[in-house]
Amino acid sequence: MGQSFRLCPCDSLFPRGNKAMPDPSFLLLQSLNGLTYAMFLFLIASGLSLIFGILGILNFAHGSLYMLGAYFTQQFVSLFIDVPGQFWWAVVFASLTIAALGAVIERFFLRHLYGREELYQLLFTYALVLILADFAKIIWGTGQFSVSRPALLKGAVSILDQYFPTYNLVIIFLGPCLAFTFWFALLRTRWGRKIRAAALDREMLSSLGVHVTRLFTVVFFIGAWMAGLGGALVSPVSAIVPGMDVEVIINAFIVVVIGGLGSFWGTFLGSLIVGQVYALGILVFPRLSLAFIYVLMALVLIIRPWGLLGRPLQR
Amino acid sequence: MKRFLQIASICSLVLVFAFSAYGAGKPIKVGFPMILSGGGALFGKPSSVGAEMFVKELNAKGGVLGRPIELIIRDCGNTPEEATRVAREIILKEKVDFMVGGLTASQGLALSEVAKTEKVVYIAPISKTTAMTDPGKLHPYVFRAAANTNTEGRSAAVFMAKNPWTKIATLGPDYEYGQMVTKAFVEWMKKNKPEVQIVHQGWPKLGETDYTPFIAPLLAAKPEAAFLSLWGGHFVTFAKQAKPYGFFEKVKVVAAGEGGSPETGMSLKDDLPLGITTNAYDVFYYPDTPEHKSYVERLKAYTKQEYAPSWAITGYIAVQFLAEAIEKAKSTDKMKVIKALEGLTINTPIGKQTMRAKDHQATRGQVWGTTAKVPEYPFPILRPVEYIPADNLMD
Amino acid sequence: MSKENWILLLIILLLLCIPLTESRFYVFLGTDILIFGLFAVSLNLLLGYTGLVSFGHATYFGIGAYTCALLMKKASVPFPLAFAAAGALGGISALIIGFFCVRLTKVYFAMLTLAFSQIVWAMAFKWNSLTGGDNGLVGVPFPQFLDSKVLFYYFTLGVVAGSLFLLRKVVNSPFGRILTTIRENPERTEFIGIHVKLFQLIAFMISGVLAAIAGALFGIFNHSVFPDILFWPASAEVLIMTLLGGIYNFFGPLVGAAVLLFVRMEVTSYTEHWPLILGFTLALLLFFFPGGIMGFLQARFARPGGNR
Repeated sequence: MGQSFRLCPCDSLFPRGNKAMPDPSFLLLQSLNGLTYAMFLFLIASGLSLIFGILGILNFAHGSLYMLGAYFTQQFVSLFIDVPGQFWWAVVFASLTIAALGAVIERFFLRHLYGREELYQLLFTYALVLILADFAKIIWGTGQFSVSRPALLKGAVSILDQYFPTYNLVIIFLGPCLAFTFWFALLRTRWGRKIRAAALDREMLSSLGVHVTRLFTVVFFIGAWMAGLGGALVSPVSAIVPGMDVEVIINAFIVVVIGGLGSFWGTFLGSLIVGQVYALGILVFPRLSLAFIYVLMALVLIIRPWGLLGRPLQR
Repeated sequence: MKRFLQIASICSLVLVFAFSAYGAGKPIKVGFPMILSGGGALFGKPSSVGAEMFVKELNAKGGVLGRPIELIIRDCGNTPEEATRVAREIILKEKVDFMVGGLTASQGLALSEVAKTEKVVYIAPISKTTAMTDPGKLHPYVFRAAANTNTEGRSAAVFMAKNPWTKIATLGPDYEYGQMVTKAFVEWMKKNKPEVQIVHQGWPKLGETDYTPFIAPLLAAKPEAAFLSLWGGHFVTFAKQAKPYGFFEKVKVVAAGEGGSPETGMSLKDDLPLGITTNAYDVFYYPDTPEHKSYVERLKAYTKQEYAPSWAITGYIAVQFLAEAIEKAKSTDKMKVIKALEGLTINTPIGKQTMRAKDHQATRGQVWGTTAKVPEYPFPILRPVEYIPADNLMD
Repeated sequence: MSKENWILLLIILLLLCIPLTESRFYVFLGTDILIFGLFAVSLNLLLGYTGLVSFGHATYFGIGAYTCALLMKKASVPFPLAFAAAGALGGISALIIGFFCVRLTKVYFAMLTLAFSQIVWAMAFKWNSLTGGDNGLVGVPFPQFLDSKVLFYYFTLGVVAGSLFLLRKVVNSPFGRILTTIRENPERTEFIGIHVKLFQLIAFMISGVLAAIAGALFGIFNHSVFPDILFWPASAEVLIMTLLGGIYNFFGPLVGAAVLLFVRMEVTSYTEHWPLILGFTLALLLFFFPGGIMGFLQARFARPGGNR
């Protein structure tokens, strides 16, 4: 059986191996993998979408906040050695640190660019990407870090005679829980209502006496917190390396574009879609799966630019 | 424009003064573009440190032909594009005649091209792809001190073949190195053990951060063993993600890509899968020769680390080849150095190495072994471990 | 001749004299700056003149580079033909991509340009048999009648100078003035009867052609073409060059390219922390020097004037 080594895309249209019919347990496993990835994406993307919806800024540095969340988690874990529940404490501290960082960035820097053209705000966030990445390199060096899974969740559960990591399962449940909590907060709390109002009409809100600038800082704080949380939770699963910021931000962009910039449930839906496309795309088009996700993004922008659940753009 | 020329000329003057204050004779400049940032820096940095240490020790003994070597180390980024740009800048600005560097296979190919067009002697310390020394691509200026994908893939196949497994999967990064080493593995297996079936091939992209979508399809094909070619940090990520799936219990693994390096062991600690066969360029605990022990001690002192990095040997040996070739040629004339390099045998801390004349490739083998936990160290190491020479595995 | 034209002539004379310094390094740097200068100026047609923020301009640069290199290397097409084909393909792809992009505004426009650039990048990255994949195309031949670095430098100078001359004519023509009107207020321009999208599309196409020409020159200059020139940070880099030089000035982007390339080369020989320095510089630029270098110089020295 000659396994010829042709490197052409037509190769990938015919998956290798002697799988007659992929068995359902394996498909389920693959799908669960996609779900796990989707949840991490959701954490970052929701912060990104929130910031865009309220402040109108597409924050390139959101991936950097995610990365720093992971780095700080690693740092706190080694600080809290011998503390029970060290991983979860580290997650809390790390995500709050990033949230504070986000608030500082908004309050002292981004705020001064509000009157300007969007290009300047966008490029400033790109400048932040460069600065924060080097900042991480200076503090933690170029090595690769690793955080162990929390002791309770080290193992795996058996699903249809396949193993699936317990930690990943927890993430899959945690994701929607966080989503619902947020949605509930947006709907019911005072701050939530102000945020939703600000998304609809900033000026009106200001004339009603709401301290809009403080609101913006709160929004950035929350957005950064989500990103930091995403990075913290991903640290036992993924590599904490330089470059993870660039990698993740593009995927986050794709998620919010597909779901709809500024739409909460759109972001959730977008994450699910992107997660599944990644996981299942590898089975169907192993070599071309890279381009798939960008094609999807382009299609959405062409056919329905405001995303699946976004609001149609005002002309 | 005038301003620019003014500034540029002042800069060059300053540099010239800096050089002339350097040492007895005019230094021999060697360009050293290496990955110092981003994902590849994990190995790039120690590699440059190894080169630095060699040069420092050599210069203390009087240098080469009475002249000190000056290593011009620059971050060449993670892509071949950046490596090309940086290399050309070094060559044209610093006017170097010799270059050692590049890490990934694509960078090796790119730098080989730069060496060809700028006519600079280039020794690759790490890039393994055989494409660099293939008849079509080989040219007088390129040399490789590293092992190549044939040696590595075939060594893995030799180990694999010792066991009764017949259903094998492969998982490697989808770029030049991964493709070439897997190809070498598969071809050697087919030739020497035709009953083996390759039941699945996974190709995550280089630098993939989430390997989980690749794990399930591989397990679904139910292989008995797998040949992995994920290297460095990528292997670390994969191991962490695969462990909860019971991957290493279900599938026996032979891994190329230096999973046996102490750096990997220290990074993964308890998450390093035990009982897998993997390799390394150099391990501080083997071989037990006086040269190697002395090298390890010096490296520890130079880096002030408790455990000497294993990737330092790559930069060290590459520059050693160059220095001894210049010494043998008694000149820095490029053509003479090239002639001196061909067939040159040197005594490195890990034994004798020869640079073959026919394809400018060093007979570089690697250390292979099985991962195990040992009481002496807080991280797993390779035990048993042996050096697999390259001589019988190269074309 | 106006003062500005005298300065231009002086600069061109200086550029002509660079090879006389016998320094391979200056010829190398000069060629590099000219190529990226053209690339940045082409972007500025969209950014500074039409007000369109493209985050995927590297697409056309890359298409130009790959087209020219592939035709010359694999199909042995003579250089003039390959060069022209590169420009043409750049224009055609800009037409197709632009058609979809101009229907959107602001952030969505930028996102779509980014999406398309990533698609093209993914194609170049994965289509090993055509583009060599992530190994790139190595060993791109020099065109026969230009087989020395110096000759190629003069050729580049000629091409870039010619392109800039043509572009200047375009920008100062009624067409160019309509573009700036569109930049200022697209709705009002639509009201007075101008088909805004068509004009934006034409500007898109022109800038695509010029970027592709710059890319074709680059492929030969570099002797190799890698997919990294299509990856989105490359688009960000040229945006920074343009902004650094000044988007409200015709020659701003060229100045920006020169300064960025030169400073990068100097800084990287002293430190590994170029991204930090670049980030800080960019931030300073955005906060305090929105007009870029040329904007700053013009405000200080020149008489108050409009967009030239």
